[in-house]
Amino acid sequence: MFNLVIGQYVPADSYIHRLDPRSKLISVFLFVIIVFLANNWVTNALMVLFCFLGIALSRLNVSFIYRGLRSVFIIVLITFLLNLFLSSGGTVLFSWGFLRVTSAGLLQSIFIAIRILVIIVVTTLLTLTTSPIEITDGMESLLNPLKKIKVPVHEFALMMSISLRFIPTLLEETEKIIKAQSARGSDFTSGSLKSRVKAIVPLLVPLFVGAFKRAEDLAMAMEARGYHGDFGRTKLHQLKWDWRDTLLLAAVLLLAVLLILARY
Amino acid sequence: MNTSLKKMVLISLLSALGFLIMLIAFPIPLFPVFLTMDFSDLPALIGAIILGPGAGIAIEAIKNILHVLLTGSLTVVPVGEFANFAAGTIFILVTWGFYRRKRTALSLLFGMITATLTMTVIMAVINYYFIFPSYALFLGYSIDAMVGMSQSANRSIHSLLTLIVYGVMPFNLLKGAALTLIMIPVSARLKRFIDKRIAA
Repeated sequence: MFNLVIGQYVPADSYIHRLDPRSKLISVFLFVIIVFLANNWVTNALMVLFCFLGIALSRLNVSFIYRGLRSVFIIVLITFLLNLFLSSGGTVLFSWGFLRVTSAGLLQSIFIAIRILVIIVVTTLLTLTTSPIEITDGMESLLNPLKKIKVPVHEFALMMSISLRFIPTLLEETEKIIKAQSARGSDFTSGSLKSRVKAIVPLLVPLFVGAFKRAEDLAMAMEARGYHGDFGRTKLHQLKWDWRDTLLLAAVLLLAVLLILARY
Repeated sequence: MNTSLKKMVLISLLSALGFLIMLIAFPIPLFPVFLTMDFSDLPALIGAIILGPGAGIAIEAIKNILHVLLTGSLTVVPVGEFANFAAGTIFILVTWGFYRRKRTALSLLFGMITATLTMTVIMAVINYYFIFPSYALFLGYSIDAMVGMSQSANRSIHSLLTLIVYGVMPFNLLKGAALTLIMIPVSARLKRFIDKRIAA
């Protein structure tokens, strides 16, 4: 039931791993917007090149990237085929029954497939090289200005980190309860919708009780260790912005400029 | 004891629980595959009952952000997560409107039935004007292609409007009904725990 690997972070020491999570977050955000500028062979080649450069700099085994891509491969394929057969324009290259492939349609579907793939590669690269805790810290730091208008940024980041920390624990607990209930003869994986709904209640009740108890214990422990909110709090992991981060942002901006120049 | 810290920690744990429940989403027969059934709104509802609607909405938000961060959105751009957040928030606000005045299982039941109906109507509008067009934009699908894809699940779907009327709306009704059917016994069995925490 739960064969999913939670979190994809692969610890290593590389240029991309050492970057500040803030610069990586900004770059990925910009990249996802920039991607929509690509509209011909040159611009798409530039995007792909940029991705390969990123992969090379991350020193990750390509199999990790492939693992991230595998789950979305079907989607890309479906999108490609739908675009291939449903868009029109240009000369007809191939026709069989009601299916018709045109030159413009082929080109457009290739470009859209590339667009989806490069976005997935870049976001996968972010999650492979940055731990969820780093991402949360980076987001907190980026959203800091919002504190001025009374947005509880710190509280939100803290809640995110606690959730991240407790997902594996709760997952383990869920598996234990499922096993315990299965041993007593309940079945979660098959049967009608009604029987599945019925089976889920005795699973949820102990999960909630466990979560309540853990919350109480954790709050008590934090209080005892002197947690007193955002004001005057010091951090275990300090974020440091250096020239590498500036270089990354410059590279992304350069890519944007090149794309705009090569668009037509 | 610091109550805001207690509140924050409980919100965090319920969000983690919501995220886990979200992972057991499954498609149901007769509906297009992108509509999946999950009960991840339950922790948010329980959170709203104990700590108020703001906490419920925070749980919905954190749960969906975790989903984007950890599983990587299927469509790259988190449209599905946004839809889940919108539906959950509407559900919680309406249910809370009923439950706030009289904290009984009966008002919870009425609240959730009204919430199901309201959510179905509002989500139909959001789907028509926002969610389907943004899927089309980001994935490069045309709306027709999506309609065609759904046609294989249900023959009477032949336009975006019929996709919403025959696909999305009954789906949301079913989802709300299933949530209600689970929430009532779960909250009844948790009553002892919930009451203790409201008082605290």
